[in-house]
Amino acid sequence: MRVRLPGLYIALCVVLAGVIHVVAVLTLPMLAPRDAQARLAALGPANTMIQLPPPAPGHQVMPLMAPDIRYAVCRYDLSKGPVRLKARIADGLWVIAFYTPLGENYYAIVGADMKQPNLDLIVATKDQDVAEVGVDSPEAFDNVVVVTSPAVEGIAMIRAPLSGPSRSAEAEHALKSAYCGPHKGSS
Amino acid sequence: MRALGYFIGTFAVALILGIGSAWYMIERGSPLTTASFGPWRSWLSEGNPNADPYTRAHLARSGRLPLTSTVARYFMADTDSRGRSLYSGCEYSIVGAPLDARWWSLALYDANGSLIANPSHRYSFNSEEAIRRSDGSFHITLSRNARPENWLPEGSGPDRNLVLILRVYGARDTDISGIGQIPLERLPKIERVRCG
Repeated sequence: MRVRLPGLYIALCVVLAGVIHVVAVLTLPMLAPRDAQARLAALGPANTMIQLPPPAPGHQVMPLMAPDIRYAVCRYDLSKGPVRLKARIADGLWVIAFYTPLGENYYAIVGADMKQPNLDLIVATKDQDVAEVGVDSPEAFDNVVVVTSPAVEGIAMIRAPLSGPSRSAEAEHALKSAYCGPHKGSS
Repeated sequence: MRALGYFIGTFAVALILGIGSAWYMIERGSPLTTASFGPWRSWLSEGNPNADPYTRAHLARSGRLPLTSTVARYFMADTDSRGRSLYSGCEYSIVGAPLDARWWSLALYDANGSLIANPSHRYSFNSEEAIRRSDGSFHITLSRNARPENWLPEGSGPDRNLVLILRVYGARDTDISGIGQIPLERLPKIERVRCG
């Protein structure tokens, strides 16, 4: 017994440490109070396109934002129905990315891969029937992209990387025309 | 009584080991979750919906919204090429080879992820702005005072630790799952020139 006892404590210690390790890793994403969703919620209401101020010292919505990218964000909430998103993609460098509230980038559209610059899309959950809402003919849907959101809430973010030193005003102007709102009544 | 002491001791050690190892693997990463080359570290499945729990925890703690690795790659450095912490009291010379991508940007932050105030409002250099040499390479100097070519100011505030982020959009080489491949040996070298 005298020989086995330290071994027993060491084994217990290792098992306990393992359990604590796993619990800490799994609970941390839920406990992080200042995640991106919380930071963006402080900026304004859901289902509205919000242009983020150009990242500058002391004026960053999220840490480590790119100083040479301009951002616009729509925090969407599909509990009252699908959400429509429209934007004129001014540059092949632009990226439109969709996130779950936990920050998982489940879908992204790269400007350079688009056939035409006008982006028109509907974000809906997989239970929501998009075709029934507000549109008469299916043909009108030919150029509409339907994005299936894995959760009722999420984030759509447009990134406009600056393709030159003095392109900031141009990118900000182009982002202004981006629209985000309830699908009904927007078409 | 002695058994109780052992038990509490065991529990305390387990707590330190468990939390410590979790913190390390979330904050610094491990070969399972990150690719490292010299000073650069990149989380492989950052932003990916199928990411492992360590990557998820890292992301939640960071408060960022990174693009998934099929669209953009992020490389972070907080040391020079010899492993010494980047420090605003020192001058660094960053030399990079051309990257085969649609756009890249190298930006400087303090340890909290904030941009550093400076009179010329220069916080980054990207592929469209950086002055290149005839062989396509770029040379960026991190320092407090102005330098020729590409100068990335360290600001005039108190000395602090620095972080560099290299963003690469639209890498032209991708692997079988579409993840942008940046040859790691082409990542910029960060040499400390002098301190103080």
